[in-house]
Amino acid sequence: MPITPPRNLFELFTGFLAIGARSFGGVMPWAHRTMVEERRWLTPADFAETIGLCQFLPGPNIGNASIVLGKRWFGLSGAVVAFLGLMGFPFIWVMALGALYQEYSFLPEVKAVVTGVGVAGAGLILGTAVKLGRDLVRKPAALVLVAACFGAVGVARFSMYLVLPVALVLALVASRRNWL
Amino acid sequence: MILLEIALWFSLLSLIAFGGMPAVMPEMQRLVVEHGWATPAEFVQLFAVGQAAPGPNVLIVSLIGWKVSGLAGALVALLAVCGPAAVISWWVSELWTRFKDNPWRLALSRAIAPLVVGLILASGTILAMPSGPDWRTWLIALASAGAFLATKVNPLWILAVGGVAGSILLS
Repeated sequence: MPITPPRNLFELFTGFLAIGARSFGGVMPWAHRTMVEERRWLTPADFAETIGLCQFLPGPNIGNASIVLGKRWFGLSGAVVAFLGLMGFPFIWVMALGALYQEYSFLPEVKAVVTGVGVAGAGLILGTAVKLGRDLVRKPAALVLVAACFGAVGVARFSMYLVLPVALVLALVASRRNWL
Repeated sequence: MILLEIALWFSLLSLIAFGGMPAVMPEMQRLVVEHGWATPAEFVQLFAVGQAAPGPNVLIVSLIGWKVSGLAGALVALLAVCGPAAVISWWVSELWTRFKDNPWRLALSRAIAPLVVGLILASGTILAMPSGPDWRTWLIALASAGAFLATKVNPLWILAVGGVAGSILLS
């Protein structure tokens, strides 16, 4: 299948708009569908490589992907246009939903439903951690690091600004010794 | 100046958000609660509203910004949390390809993986306790984690069931 990168900024914008506007319940599957399957902007391997980079970088993964890909095709204007396309619709949506919520949040029933959605979302995050953690199960040093980060941040509630640098140094040492 | 404060704190958050937004929720919750911008329970509710919208999960920050300082706060918070990360992405993307076979690149990505898993676990745990430990919220969270791992349904349905369970268990 030939790869057809976006020809102009308008195509880039509508592509990222299509990702942002449709991606209920998780943005990555829609990013893949739009950029790899429908528009053929990227090969599957290229997509995986780009997303891998963006998961490694700090910040919102797909937001970073819009910058990296926009830059690749159209430089600075591409990065800006891709970012705006991605965020525009969801931003309006979330503001409207937030306004609606504020209007009715005094009702205990509404609060109960929304809290239920929130803790179900917490469950999705826990599930994601389990999925990502499966690759690490056979590496004791990795499990120690997982437990240490979890304990320090989730249980002891130490600040991540302290925990991350320390953990990163320890992990790099372990990683260079091929323990990870 | 509250907008400046939002800009500063969320830009800092951007720089430590390895593993994306889920990994940084513990620090975001602390930031929001310590500044008196929302209670832990309200934070979970804002997180829920963000989950019910399409698009990147980063949009919870605009809900926080909006609660604190209206539309301007929403825009500032979103740009602040994306900005520094975007600048880093801009500069690193080429280096990343250039150092494709460099052993340090491999070592770094292997080092970050377990940290991200630990932090995401911490996020889920903190968000599962909106008003302290409670078997009802734990039940909903663990059931949705199980459903997420065992099935391939759109997570939106899991959130919807969570809402129904909330209306039964939590009111």
